[in-house]
Order: sequence, then structure tokens, then C-alpha cells
Amino acid sequence: MATPDRFRLDGQVVLLTGAGRGLGRAMALSYADAGARLAGASRTLSQLEETAELVAERGGEAISIATDVTDAEAVEAMVAETIDRFGRVDILMNNAGGGAAGDGSPLEQLTDEQWRWGIDMNLTSQMLCARAVLPHMTERGSGVIINVASGFGLRGGRDNWMYVSAKAGVVNFTRSLAVSYGPAGVRTNCIAPGIFPHTPQALERWRGGRYIPIGRVGLAWEMGPLAVFLSSDAAAGISGETIAQDGGGLAMIGPTGWAPRVRLTEPT
Amino acid sequence: MSDFVPTPNPEQPEDPFLLKGKAALVVGAGDPLGRAAAVALAEAGADVAVASLRAGPQEVVRVNSVANEIWSLGRANAAITLDASNQNSVDAAIARTTSELGSLDILVNAADLPVAIPVDELSPDDWHAVLAANLLAPAMTSSAAGRVMKLNGYGRIINIVSVLAARGVANTSSYAAAHAGVLALTRALSQEWARSGITVNALQVGIYEGQQGFGDNPEAVQQLARMLPAKALVKPEDVGAAVVGLAADSGFITGETIAVDGAATARV
Repeated sequence: MATPDRFRLDGQVVLLTGAGRGLGRAMALSYADAGARLAGASRTLSQLEETAELVAERGGEAISIATDVTDAEAVEAMVAETIDRFGRVDILMNNAGGGAAGDGSPLEQLTDEQWRWGIDMNLTSQMLCARAVLPHMTERGSGVIINVASGFGLRGGRDNWMYVSAKAGVVNFTRSLAVSYGPAGVRTNCIAPGIFPHTPQALERWRGGRYIPIGRVGLAWEMGPLAVFLSSDAAAGISGETIAQDGGGLAMIGPTGWAPRVRLTEPT
Repeated sequence: MSDFVPTPNPEQPEDPFLLKGKAALVVGAGDPLGRAAAVALAEAGADVAVASLRAGPQEVVRVNSVANEIWSLGRANAAITLDASNQNSVDAAIARTTSELGSLDILVNAADLPVAIPVDELSPDDWHAVLAANLLAPAMTSSAAGRVMKLNGYGRIINIVSVLAARGVANTSSYAAAHAGVLALTRALSQEWARSGITVNALQVGIYEGQQGFGDNPEAVQQLARMLPAKALVKPEDVGAAVVGLAADSGFITGETIAVDGAATARV
């Protein structure tokens, strides 16, 4: 018994930014398991090469492209190299992000430069990658774009400015991509991850998941199957959509575990 | 508050979309979406019980034919009729599923009673009937299934609703209110059972190919399809694939509503 064909990505090419570590690396491995060939991109080549080695160990194929996703020329070159090496791009996974120095301070202390950098890293970067890959996808009449946002793109956070604004931008950018390029055969969706700590310190900072409804944090590998599903034909009916993967965080209000009891009486 | 014990981490499955060994109950399997869900679950390896809210001869024939499809896929199956307004009948349906399939891991609520009548022509009895089929039924089946799933520490509940739960359309007041109620039910149960290994999610489906009721007017349906980026309605099979995607999830997606509507709700 094997996975139904609709969930497989055999022979397809995925261009994955931020592939050198964390969630990006985990998704790279899931894509490889689903049969896709991987072009991993990020600033740090050594980390990408580690990801590529892990992919190779699982019998997959990966190339590594050093790039800067905030630089339009570098992004064009990244897409060109992927097409040069693999002949096509079926899936763009816009995962690179982070880098919002200045978040965590009152707005009065925020510099213009910090604002621009945070928006560039988390929103402009995804626009640049989508813009670079779309001519290729529309020419072939098919393609999938997946943008990674965050739970912070759907709710506000205290003293959180660039990250929340850019990620909310990603959510709506996703919708416009779906509406604009759907007729050309390109589906676009968005994943909004909740808390996925990369280090023991981060896990401690989130108190092991105490404040997450299901009582644990996200594990990096859990994002892989969702990314593969959205990339595959199994998600043919889904476009313009943002899917929260957050242990129930966005469905909740109030303290974790709040379970009031009020007796049924008469209406007011 | 030092009594917090994190929920155990799930193990990474070798094949993330395989449902081998899982037992599912699909309520409303005579409906095109329920049938698609039942078949997709069976194709992914699950054993499937199919149930109908009606005991009429047509409905029994339809549900039996879905059970036959599941049988022909080599999976265990059962055909059940249940009255959702009767606690004993609902409990009996759950008991029959667990006794014939060995367990109950996945519940899909797909029963649908389409209604579109101007609000001033709806009697209180009409409202009760619409709410009973579209809201009370998934509430009762979830409640009964939840008891079994809590004991097992594992469950996946997937409620299928219409896009009308999220967007206003003339003459759909009672139907839309019932379906919006299911989304609220989904969020509340996701929290109520958050620490029991049970996820509760919804698929919000656009007007789909072959839909009865709202799909009965071919001219209106063609117009709707033209408005979609893909220029085509979603297919029941696309909903079935999305059901498998949620049923196979590792447990970090809960309380979430995913639109399967070809970007209908993404556009202005």
C-alpha cells in the first residue's frame, strides 16, 4: 500500500528559499521524500550543502544556490540557475524570512531603516521570488507558489511591528497572486506556522508549549507534509488560502484551558 | 502551575498520507462530498463506515453503493443509518463503527440539507429542520465520537461546510447560519479536546461540480465558475483529497477552517 498518486511530487522541481536550516530544511526533506527535486537557496552555502547532503542520504536530488532574497538581481539569478539545472520550476516555496531587528521595542524607538529591513526580509523578498518565477510558470501553464506567513500575520503582537505587518501582507499578497495567476494555472497558498522553536532555549522561552492549546510546540518536520500536500494535486481545489498550523492558537481566546461552566436556564 | 506535562510528540511517519489501520466514519456519505471523502479515505488505506441521516430507499441504495466501492478497494466497511436527533441512534452508529471496524479514528461530517428560501417564508419548524440536519447532526456525532476518541487519546474530526458559512447570499439565512454554527462548533471543540489528541477542523467548500440544490441552476453555476480564477468549479474529489490531508495530519492543525473553493473567497 502506497501514498495515493495525487499526494506525490515525483519528478517535480521545488525552489525552496531559506532551505539551510529550521523549517526550510525540514520541508526540503519532506519534498525529497515526496519525490521532488530540490533547489535550495539561502545566504549561507555551507548550510544549504548540509541540507543537500541530508536530501541525498534519503535518495533525493538537491542543488544549492547562495542568494539574497532581498536583492532582485540575485533572485533572478537564483531562478535562472534552477531552470538551467533542472529545466523547470514547478513549486516556489517562499520560506525565507525573519530578521526583524527592532521588533520588541516601542514604536517611537523604531528607526526607518529597521522598518524597511523587516518589511524587505519578510514581504518584499516573497514578492521578488514570485515575480521572478511567474513568467516561467505562466509560460508552462502550471505552477504552485506557497508563501510562509505566521500566526503573527493574523493577530497583533505587543511591540511587534515589521514582522506582523509584513506577514499580514504575505497573507493578502497570497490572495492576489491566486486571483491574478489562477487563470494561468498557478495556484498560490500560504502556511501560517505557530510556535516552532528551533533551540532548547526557544523551547524554554515558550514554556514547552504550556500556552499552546494542544499542549506542545510544533515540530519542524510537521510542516513538511502540509507543504507537500499544498504543493500536490491533492490541493487542486485550494487557492488563495492561508492555513494556520499552530496547535489551535488562533481558534482560541483567553487563557489556555479556559473551560467555563454555565448552567442552562432561561434566555434573558 | 508546575503540573504542566507537555503533550507527547508524535512520531514522524514514513509515509505522511497513508491511513492504513485507521477507522473512519463518514456521515452523509450519500452526498457527493461525503462519497468523495469516503472513497479518498479508503484509497489512502483507511477502513470506512458510511452513514446517512435518512432511511429512505434512495438514500439506503446510495450509501450501500458507496460501501460497495470501499469494499472493492479492499477496505473494511459498514453502511449505517442514524437519526441525529436521537442520542441512542447516534451512540448506536458510533458503537457499530467501532465494533465492525475495530476503532474510530476519523469522523467526517458531510451530511447536507440545502435550503434557499426568503427569510419571511421560513417557519420556526423550517428553521428547526435546517438547524437539525446541518448543525445539530455534526454536533451530536462529534459529541458521541469524541467520547471514544478521548479514551483512545486520538481523533481527527473534519466538518464539511459550505462557503455560505462565510459569505452572505440572499435566501440562504437558515442554511448559512447553520453552517457558520458548524465553524464555531469546530473552534470550540478544538479547544475542548485540545489535550486529548483530538483535532477538529473544517473544510469550507465552494459551489462544486454536480452539487444538488445550490447547483441546480446551470446558468448561475456557469456564471459562478467564470468568476473563479481557475474558471472551473471545484470537484468532489478535491474535497476528498483535502479530507485525507487533514485526517493524516500529525495533530498541530486544529480549530482551523480551510477553504476548498478555487479561490472564491480570496477575491473581492
